[in-house]
Amino acid sequence: MLSLFIYGVIQSVTLALYALGFSLTYGISGVANFAHGGLYILSGFIAWSLMNTLRLPIYLALPLTVVIAGLIGFALYWGLLVRIRGIPLAEVVVTFAAGIAILEFLVWIGLYGFYYNLPIFIKGGIEIQGVAVDYQRLFVLGIGVILAVLLWLFVHHTKIGLAFRGIAQNEHTALTFGIESDWTGALSLAVGSALSAIAAVLILPMGVLESTVGYEVLIFAVAVAIVGGLESIPGMIIASFIIGFGQIAVAKYIGSKWMVIVPLGAIAFILAVRPSGLLGKFKELEERV
Amino acid sequence: MLEVKNLMVFFENAIALNDLSLEVEKGKIVAVLGSNSAGKTTLMNTISGLLVDMKKKEDRRGGERITLLGALKFEGEDILTIKPSLRVRKGIVLSRERHPVFRESDVVENLKIAGYLTEKHKVKEEMEDVFQLFPHLTKLRHRKAGLLSGGEQQMLAIGMALVARPRLLLMDEPLLGLSPAIQSDLARAIRDIHKKNITILVTEQFARPLMPIIDRGYVIENGMLVISGTREELADNPEVRASYLGV
Ligand SMILES: Nc1ncnc2c1ncn2[C@@H]1O[C@H](COP(=O)(O)OP(=O)(O)OP(=O)(O)O)[C@@H](O)[C@H]1O
Ligand SMILES: [Mg+2]
Repeated sequence: MLSLFIYGVIQSVTLALYALGFSLTYGISGVANFAHGGLYILSGFIAWSLMNTLRLPIYLALPLTVVIAGLIGFALYWGLLVRIRGIPLAEVVVTFAAGIAILEFLVWIGLYGFYYNLPIFIKGGIEIQGVAVDYQRLFVLGIGVILAVLLWLFVHHTKIGLAFRGIAQNEHTALTFGIESDWTGALSLAVGSALSAIAAVLILPMGVLESTVGYEVLIFAVAVAIVGGLESIPGMIIASFIIGFGQIAVAKYIGSKWMVIVPLGAIAFILAVRPSGLLGKFKELEERV
Repeated sequence: MLEVKNLMVFFENAIALNDLSLEVEKGKIVAVLGSNSAGKTTLMNTISGLLVDMKKKEDRRGGERITLLGALKFEGEDILTIKPSLRVRKGIVLSRERHPVFRESDVVENLKIAGYLTEKHKVKEEMEDVFQLFPHLTKLRHRKAGLLSGGEQQMLAIGMALVARPRLLLMDEPLLGLSPAIQSDLARAIRDIHKKNITILVTEQFARPLMPIIDRGYVIENGMLVISGTREELADNPEVRASYLGV
């Protein structure tokens, strides 16, 4: 029972990390970044290259990876999205295509199998009342929680964060106070990509670094975002926990190969009963019109 | 302070502003009167830069729907094509029509967002000034803006514009849809704002509640200037009396 709880929490935080960047970008700029999974794996590959090709130490390589991912997010906005901004279908097609291009490019240069992997931060682990947990999973837990808190502080208490809140709610009104929609849009993609890089360097060491994982990450991120209600951060966290615990329970009682059914089933279920998601925008409160 | 010269705005082939010229002198309260679709909002959006932004975004997608011609000068400098944020930095701030506030944020957060270009310690000061100007908002500090009444949202919208520290405040129909009592409250608030050395350009459909506080007025119809004059001249004009004062 305790192991179910511990691994449930860890799985939930992992899912939240997958979804964080995707949800943040969508919440601010309305761009559903379907290149998210591609960026995740690309970040892993960049980290690997920095450490193995350039021989940088891990404490330099990982922060640098996050910065590079941020710059790629920027480039994605100015290069591909700027002209089609505000046309949702075009945004989805373009980001999806970019994601596939990244993933297939990585396959093409040989990113599959066990040759590529990222190192864990510290070897070993601890036992919590008989349940073994390795340090890397504790890192995931700790950094996940810290990130969520920092992000909340950032969005609610810094100028840029407040600009994000403004532009997400009413672009034209935000413009009248000097907030720029292109600048915030580009920044939202940069921050989203950087967050996916953080997730990658934390989580990839516990699995394999290959393109198929990118598709999975995208499915998880989209599942969490849809179930929680697009653009609702509390909804996203609740959804992570529901799906995370669901997955661990399924793995334990039915079999781990069924784990991927949980997010897909959750999407289907939520779309059928509550299309705006658990805490989706329209349901949060009845507003005056 | 502000000079609009032969301004023309087209949406596709429809003309929204037609060879419009007007002037706002520093330290004055100037009204632009006009009925529905006269072009008031188009004028305000042109001055604040929203229209240039809209045009930029449409042009990027390949449209060529909006055409802007003429001259727009602020303190002698041509600002017709510069982006909205630069205009805010120069001190031109618009309070938009129908008080579109940030509905999911509470009152305080709305004011903070509006202070994006204002230094942090100044934002606090300005916020206190806003609560002094509209004491009614004080007890609503932590209420979500989407839940405020129309009048409260209008006060908030004006307060937000003030936090951005305007030198020229543009107000697009600030009295729209409010009860006569609140209208005269707000007219008084506008006069108080003006006392802080802020020049004001305000639009309305009806002149009556504004009449006591304005220095000058322009009447536009179908995007064209039809009458202009000082408050006294407008008050004596039979056409204005009939259409905009209701006497
Ligand atoms: N974005 C737009 N696209 C197309 N036409 C527009 C646009 N904005 C305004 N117009 C047209 O320009 C004309 C002037 O509109 P505007 O909104 O400036 O009038 P208004 O005086 O503010 O009216 P109201 O009192 O109803 O607010 C109208 O005919 C309107 O249909
Ligand atoms: Mg209007």
